[in-house]
Amino acid sequence: MYKSVTVKAGRGGWGGPLTLVPTEAKHKVVSITGGGIHPIAKSLAAMMECEAVDGFSTGVPDEEILVAVVDCGGTARCGVYPKKRIFTINVLPVGQTGPLAKFITEDIYVSGVDESCFSYADASAAQAAAPAPKPVSGAPKSKAQAKEEVARMNAGKEKGFITRLGIAIGGVVSKFYAAGRETIDITIKSILPFMAFVSMILGIISASGIGDVIANTISPIASTLPGMLIISFICAMPFLSPVLGPGAVIAQIVGTLLGVQIGLGNIPPQYALPALFAIDAQVGGDFVPVGLSLGEADPETIELGVPAVLYSRVITGPVAVIIAYVASIGLYS
Amino acid sequence: MEFIAGLANGFLSLFQAGAATFTGWVTGIIPLVVVLMTAVNSLIKIIGEDRVNGIAEVATKYTITRYTVLPVLAVIFLANPMCYTFGRFVEAKYKPAFYDAAVSFVHPVTGLFPHANGGELFVYMGIAAGVTQLGLPLGDLAVRYFFVGVLVILIRGIVTEKIYLHMLKSNEKRG
Repeated sequence: MYKSVTVKAGRGGWGGPLTLVPTEAKHKVVSITGGGIHPIAKSLAAMMECEAVDGFSTGVPDEEILVAVVDCGGTARCGVYPKKRIFTINVLPVGQTGPLAKFITEDIYVSGVDESCFSYADASAAQAAAPAPKPVSGAPKSKAQAKEEVARMNAGKEKGFITRLGIAIGGVVSKFYAAGRETIDITIKSILPFMAFVSMILGIISASGIGDVIANTISPIASTLPGMLIISFICAMPFLSPVLGPGAVIAQIVGTLLGVQIGLGNIPPQYALPALFAIDAQVGGDFVPVGLSLGEADPETIELGVPAVLYSRVITGPVAVIIAYVASIGLYS
Repeated sequence: MEFIAGLANGFLSLFQAGAATFTGWVTGIIPLVVVLMTAVNSLIKIIGEDRVNGIAEVATKYTITRYTVLPVLAVIFLANPMCYTFGRFVEAKYKPAFYDAAVSFVHPVTGLFPHANGGELFVYMGIAAGVTQLGLPLGDLAVRYFFVGVLVILIRGIVTEKIYLHMLKSNEKRG
């Protein structure tokens, strides 16, 4: 008797949930994980009472595959089965990436999966939550058969060591690779666009002469302690801080403008440290409800938490500037 | 004809200064940030979130670690904005204070660990660019920014905690 299982995305994963319904024709859990059957594939098959197959050493016709289990870091494999519209479980937390990214959709693909992501699909089956033991061949074994089996298992183990070593190295390499891709992603999606738009603004400011106006007005304010306290107080005002917060765009532009003035020698370099806190008293003021709900706070906590954080900034904004001012003694002198 | 050419030159010169700034940033900032970010991202993937969770659960018990160790770990390991999910380890009455501490650290962290907030680097980088232009080293500034940041988030956590608890009490009295 086959059992249906729901698979949801794991930590850092993406996609799903998928509901897998095994049938007579479609009942194979195919593990395409670089040699051997992945434990996740094994326990999923056990839960559904299906058959787990090593897809590397055994070819399985597509129409028999209920679900494919892959450990793809985001190059190709994670897209191959979704492209064929076969349910795909990736044990690595990889989203829509790779050359086949457009085929990877939430209704066919789920990633970052571990054993905690599996649950029986219907209530009647839920009571049998303990994974069913693997089917053992019914007939009692003869001595020769048993010996043969033990020998086969040992052979499997030796091979397993080299395979395991290979998988471990592959795992580390795939982590480096994923880290590189993440970095390039953020460089292209966030850092470069910001550089483009701010360098355009800075160029216009310096070429048009507005720069001199800024140098004559902001620089004197930003190079004294009282001036910086005023800036931080303004940024921290509870009705302004949520407006100034989003994406830290304002803080980044002001930071860049102050940087230019420091570079020109209009503001002494040791004031960089207190200035960093003065222009940032509003940090996250716009994000309090979202941040709190990410931390699993209930609605009542959020309701009071938002004003609590905003009021607190009126005190801690200027305090931060004073601390930074004291800490800047001896910097660049 | 000469007049139009002059106009075009004036128009282009408006953007040449910007182009020079852009080139300076792309060649001066991006290579180091990319390599550093890749290294730290790999390290974090190898260490794994589960191991950090254990430390986080202990750190939430004491006021001082709740607003120093916990948010610092959260920001370095989960980065902005997933770092706020560490709020789940914290008791409900301390959640707003923890959020305040964590969010106030997403910029001080960027001097040493730019991966933690790649989208908002220029709060620090913008000011740091000026210091670099003077020919001064950034190490001292980055380290001081980090540690002053830790002290500031501790104070912020404590102050916000007090304000929130006070508001909670007066709210209950009224209700």
